[in-house]
Amino acid sequence: MTAKAFLLKGKVALVAGDSKLWTKPVAAALAGAYADIAIAAKSSPKLTEAVEAVREETGRKAIAIPTDVTNPTQVQGAVHQVIAEYGRIDILVNAGDIHFFQPFVEIKSAEWDKVMDYNFNSALNFCRATGKQMLEQKNGRIINIVSGLAERGMANGSAYCVAMGGVLQLTRALALEWALQGITVNAIGTGWFTEPGNPIDERLARYIPVRRYGEPEEIGSLVVYLASDVTEFTTGQLMYVDGGLMAHA
Amino acid sequence: MSVEKGTLDGKVIIITGGGTGLGRSMAFRLAEEGADIVVAARRLPPLEETAAGVRERGGKALVVPTDVTDTAQVNSLIEKTLAEMGKIDVLINNAGIVRGERPKFMWEISEQDWRIGIDVNLSSAFYCSRAVSKYFADRKGGNIIMVASGEGFRGQRNSFMYNTAKAGVVNLTRVMALTLAEYNIRVNCIVPGFVDTYEYQPEEYQKVMAERRATRKLFVPVGHTGKPDDIGYVAVFLCSDASDYVTAGCFISDGGGLAGGFATTGYAPVVSLKEGLA
Repeated sequence: MTAKAFLLKGKVALVAGDSKLWTKPVAAALAGAYADIAIAAKSSPKLTEAVEAVREETGRKAIAIPTDVTNPTQVQGAVHQVIAEYGRIDILVNAGDIHFFQPFVEIKSAEWDKVMDYNFNSALNFCRATGKQMLEQKNGRIINIVSGLAERGMANGSAYCVAMGGVLQLTRALALEWALQGITVNAIGTGWFTEPGNPIDERLARYIPVRRYGEPEEIGSLVVYLASDVTEFTTGQLMYVDGGLMAHA
Repeated sequence: MSVEKGTLDGKVIIITGGGTGLGRSMAFRLAEEGADIVVAARRLPPLEETAAGVRERGGKALVVPTDVTDTAQVNSLIEKTLAEMGKIDVLINNAGIVRGERPKFMWEISEQDWRIGIDVNLSSAFYCSRAVSKYFADRKGGNIIMVASGEGFRGQRNSFMYNTAKAGVVNLTRVMALTLAEYNIRVNCIVPGFVDTYEYQPEEYQKVMAERRATRKLFVPVGHTGKPDDIGYVAVFLCSDASDYVTAGCFISDGGGLAGGFATTGYAPVVSLKEGLA
């Protein structure tokens, strides 16, 4: 249940980026708070599935926009399509998140570029394309989902850490740049979450203060909160949904 | 490195808690660079050992038994130092305790437990800094070095007073640095990670710490706990002219602990792009 103060009635949310984890639960949470939804991600059965789930579970409007999120022209096109369909964009959630972990010296340039493309450039492209619209509206909420590895290092995580750190810094810089234009830009930091098809590592689970992985659905309520009107004074911030992970050594 | 002349020749440096562990390492490493050392802690025998070591290295040494939570004793530490050594160049607030005893449940911590924990690890650093601040301000020059802990940046189960106090030390550093900058007083903070400091401690304490050591290694990316000299040399840098323009800084020496902490040490997944693509 969403508190009345956080409801997103009449708002339009664009959930952008390719992610196994976040797209569907984020879209469902926003729709559950009565926002209308557009999802821009690469064409796949998952995209269709996410849009249909929103429609069925919440009865909200939802459109799928198959997009190569690494291509600025296609991203611009996707944003135009949202505006053509709904007339505005109030909320952008950058949910791009592909996992890639390799020893640094073994990473090929093409692999590095791909991690940057999906985890960083996707957010960059959507911030740029959507930002123009939000600046015209003098209103907007941008929420970037990052990993705690935006702030911490991890062995074999160089490409991922750099890309996520980039999104976090983009969050802070844009928050300041657009602070007087009614646009807030915040980040949600994530810890270890269950992934379809990926077994839980018990050693890591014990390391998390709450002693379990998160479920992807558990970030939904923070997305809704940050997307709502009551957070207009909150910008440039990073908030964690991580079961306490980042608080301990 | 030049062996003829130390970079700290003639400097007078007070080290609180200077009898054991990090304090003793600082005293020796600073003395090797030519500094004269004043050590102040409660227990006399370890202080005397440190002082002897300083003298062996060619430095002057003064022992002032002090309970750093007692402001009268702290003030007299400064007076005695000025009387004996003629000046003070650096104050190192190193005193603190990590008690080896079993942690208590939160509801069993008494007001006295709380006050002692905060006093020893935080208030003492303020008392000592306050006691020397007027002297440094009048002299238009001074250098205060705080010693916090990686725990001051993170939480730890059942570690109420220590972690809270050390977080306080980090921010007290910043407040003092900003406040005292106009008097040419620098204030910086050394942040040790897990460092084995128990070699001179009571046997019971050593036993508890040795048990913890195995677990602690799991949180140190370089794979082993630190040694006191890993911190002693940070003190040399901060005491020397090499750090003249450095103030309000935290100098972390923790084997990478604070840079990681997203997974246990040694966790290094390998995930190819094909699996990784959504």
